[in-house]
Amino acid sequence: MEHFGSMLALAAPFGLGLAAVGSAYGIGRAVGSAMEAMGRQPEAAGKIQVAMIIGAAFIEALTIYVFIAFFVAMGKLA
Amino acid sequence: MTLALLHKILLIAPSWIGPLMSIATGTEQADAGAHGGEHGGEHEGDHGGMAHLPSLIHVIAKYVGGPDWMVAWINVIYAFAIALFLCIVAGRVYAKRQMIPGPLQNFVEMLVEGMYNFIYSILGKDAKQYTPFLGTLFFYILAMNWVGLIPLGHSPSTSLDITVSLAVLVFLYAQWTGMRRLGIVGYLDHLAGEPRNAVTWAMVPLMFPLHIIGELAKPLSLSLRLFGNITGEDVLIAVFVGMGISILAFSPVGIPLQFPFYFLGLLLSAVQALVFSLLSTIYILLMLPHHEEHEPETA
Repeated sequence: MEHFGSMLALAAPFGLGLAAVGSAYGIGRAVGSAMEAMGRQPEAAGKIQVAMIIGAAFIEALTIYVFIAFFVAMGKLA
Repeated sequence: MTLALLHKILLIAPSWIGPLMSIATGTEQADAGAHGGEHGGEHEGDHGGMAHLPSLIHVIAKYVGGPDWMVAWINVIYAFAIALFLCIVAGRVYAKRQMIPGPLQNFVEMLVEGMYNFIYSILGKDAKQYTPFLGTLFFYILAMNWVGLIPLGHSPSTSLDITVSLAVLVFLYAQWTGMRRLGIVGYLDHLAGEPRNAVTWAMVPLMFPLHIIGELAKPLSLSLRLFGNITGEDVLIAVFVGMGISILAFSPVGIPLQFPFYFLGLLLSAVQALVFSLLSTIYILLMLPHHEEHEPETA
């Protein structure tokens, strides 16, 4: 296990990036659809916006969990 | 190639960059010259390896001195200072309220009314009862997030202690709201998935643990989301400050590389405060009796 540190140093940021890719795709789709819906129905923009922010928060939370796991892994590195 | 260049930069960095970086990122590097090549980029602060900007408490503890608990209790000190500030502003406005408002009263009324209208659009006629708690939550979290962006400030929300206690508060309040508004039987009925026929009664052994886990997951996700976002933002700014200072090795002036990220921080802090209070509102909404379908008129 002598390369444990270097493997972790490679894998932890890579995992974070992977999670960010997934979240970016999800948020991109969610916000894109919300924008489209707002363009179709500008009078419902407020409700759509609130629902969009909640959805985006849930999607983005997944990256944040990975981010916290990243910090835990980085603590093991030092 | 780039790594070798970076290594070189860190090696040739004059010895006074080390102390400057340690001041800027709040780390204790006694001998930066000797370890410049190895540890120049790593900040081994008291936050488990995370870079952070110096706060007023750190500066006082380092240059003036003070009791030992000062740095350890930094989040609590800042959280209480922010709460005190909000209390003083609210108290002053309330004590000196007038029919024709002054600038401060006008501003505070605008904020409170905006918050009320926002919560009214979700909770409807119950908004008046829950606006004090949820509105305070929003402005408190917003202030905590923004304090980390001003020089010598520190975000208490970069500590899990603070975010977890806020999330637990929301959790307990939502459960208490459920028990009070639905009654104990109605509350258990809600947790069991409101069984009304044979199929849903058969589902109760599945639904009950599911609902319990769901309720317990809410404060977990609330606290981790706020903590992760604000910590990430502050670490990002601190790392870019450190990079701007290491430019001093071959440039007479440092470059404020962190500048664009302040705008990102302002936006992110506001969004996270909004999300926290919005999700708290929704958790309370889910606990309210919902048999009468009231459609709140857009306020």
